[in-house]
Amino acid sequence: MERRNFLKVVGAGATMVVINPSMISQTLYAEDGMLFKAYEKVQLVDVDGKPILASALEAEKTYVFNYPHMATPCFLLNLPDKADNEVKLKSEDGVEYVWSGAVGKDQNIVAYTAICPHQLTHPNKNDSFISYVPKKMKTMAYKEGGVIVCGSHLSAYNPRRGAENLSGPAAQPLASIVLEHKDDDTIWAVAVLGQDKFHDYFKSFKAEFKEQWGGKRKAKKLVSISVATVALTEYSKDVIQY
Amino acid sequence: MAFSRRNALKFSAIAAAAIGVTACNKDTGTAESTVSAPEAAASTATVGSGSKAFLPPAKGPRVVVVGGGWSGLSVAKYTKKMAPNADVILVEQRQSFMSGPVSNLWLVGEVDLDFITNDYLQAARENKYTYFQATVVGVDKVGKTIQTSNGDIDYDYLVLAPGIDYDYSQWTTDPAEELRLKTEYPAAFIPGSETMTLRSKLQDFEGGNFVMTVPGGNYRCLPAPYERACVIADYFKREGIEGKVILLDENAGITIKADGFGSAFKELYGDIIEYYPANKVEKIDLEKKMVYTEFEEFEFADAAFYPHVRGGKLLEVAGVSKDSPFNKHEANIDPFTYEVIGEKDIFCSGDVRPMGFSKSGNTANTEGHYLAKVIAGRINGTQVKWESPLTVCFSAVSMSPVHGISINAGYKYDAEAKAFGFTGVAMNEEWRDKVGTNNGKGLMEWAKGMYRDMFA
Repeated sequence: MERRNFLKVVGAGATMVVINPSMISQTLYAEDGMLFKAYEKVQLVDVDGKPILASALEAEKTYVFNYPHMATPCFLLNLPDKADNEVKLKSEDGVEYVWSGAVGKDQNIVAYTAICPHQLTHPNKNDSFISYVPKKMKTMAYKEGGVIVCGSHLSAYNPRRGAENLSGPAAQPLASIVLEHKDDDTIWAVAVLGQDKFHDYFKSFKAEFKEQWGGKRKAKKLVSISVATVALTEYSKDVIQY
Repeated sequence: MAFSRRNALKFSAIAAAAIGVTACNKDTGTAESTVSAPEAAASTATVGSGSKAFLPPAKGPRVVVVGGGWSGLSVAKYTKKMAPNADVILVEQRQSFMSGPVSNLWLVGEVDLDFITNDYLQAARENKYTYFQATVVGVDKVGKTIQTSNGDIDYDYLVLAPGIDYDYSQWTTDPAEELRLKTEYPAAFIPGSETMTLRSKLQDFEGGNFVMTVPGGNYRCLPAPYERACVIADYFKREGIEGKVILLDENAGITIKADGFGSAFKELYGDIIEYYPANKVEKIDLEKKMVYTEFEEFEFADAAFYPHVRGGKLLEVAGVSKDSPFNKHEANIDPFTYEVIGEKDIFCSGDVRPMGFSKSGNTANTEGHYLAKVIAGRINGTQVKWESPLTVCFSAVSMSPVHGISINAGYKYDAEAKAFGFTGVAMNEEWRDKVGTNNGKGLMEWAKGMYRDMFA
């Protein structure tokens, strides 16, 4: 994809790049292009700035990085099983899109926005009611583990299938973060696929943005070059799973 | 069907998933219970002003939602969202919203009033519908008009979500006595002044027996009386009040989350809560301040008497009520579409539904999302598949910090038994330690998300 193929749109307070649907590569597309937004390509690094390597990710551990905005948390997961390919998903408005699959040599590394599309539950520095429940663990939200669970109202999502909503009140999947895995084993975030809830999110948590990011404007700033990736247990003091 | 007490109790024992919830007979539109008497006269009632409400003309199909509780708010918001051309009007008699869920915590100052109150105008502004403050006094089903204290409103689709009313008939048939019970010892399960009265009672309480009752039938918010017992006992403990919480339960045992509440009663409040299952209150003597069950009698210093519930009076006025297996005067609706049997375009939802779903905020909210789809489907000409309401329910057992327990359940229809049963039930009844405080945090998180869903 070349730079000049991008259609540049200036959004409120942030430069957003919206891709023309016809330019999206064959394996990654959404019906009208509006469910796919490319942002600056950003490398996932650790807190010291060293690259995160795909092969070094612990299996089934929930990692968090913020993308594409400073204050929009995303989960990075190394799943125990290979993810499905070409999964057809549907947004709550009924728009269909296709999640192309995971990255990594075992096709098991995935990333999703950590903002529940139901009522915007997300990790903050105090606690997280949303997280990945490992395969062998039980959850109240679904018949088995190996799912992402939002504990606020018990929605479960399937990380092997584009975070498809499996149970609970959520009406659509978590938006996914499109990753690139390079030959040198580094991981990069490049785009958001699916209906993100960023607009509602930035409308809803003003006090939290002020406390954690120094205000809404700063919270909305787009991340650039690289972004720190940490364990969810470091990102939030308390990780609460049901 | 003669609905026996035994069956009603079965419903309550949630662990036994087979609950005796009869649905209406889909073929004939009849159910086995009797139709309430006053409805014939009611359908032609014209108590309203006769003049139209001062509203701009509808720009699209008009959906009038009566009742701004958890059900009505959800239906109004999501109908407008899914059918943007609809002209949605929420008619509510209150000027502001007070939540039933979490109100037990406000009774003892664990949350501020701000936390459990909300602004109807905000909900209307944010979600592009109209909030019309008025009391509905009549429904002209032929003319498709409702009569309100602020003028008449025409509708294309009508949703009646008035919530519960109380049925004191087991205790008294004397209106003066009922009035005294309502005024002096309100149940505090219809949020507002009743809740405020109960809070004042606790603040003024100097000791002795504080008596509360748990009704039979499918009463509003199954865990709430037990949660309230815990919350009040916790308050007595903290405030050093020498009082007892006497909980008289018409049911054979704790109706939901029995292990969690049962262990909390024993371990946390063994010397404060006295729990009497299978003790139906038969008589309340307001002069002597005595309450009598079949087996016991208690003197009370103060009390909150929770009688049986029934469907809101509006259903009777509109002529759309019928006794359900659980309660009197509930909605006479198709349990899958919520449409009144024999009345096209009128729907009933929320705690007036006759299906034995838990009468909880989460149930009403998720059901409201579904009903909005049904109505939007009518407007847009699309078919909608039935979706189960969801009952996600956190309860508190102690305060500061809140320790809680929870349950998650959906419902499925058994065509053979013509009944709904629970499905996918998951319980978390551990209130101790970190698990318990995490459940307590979950209660707050849940509530915030729900208020956002209805008002943002």
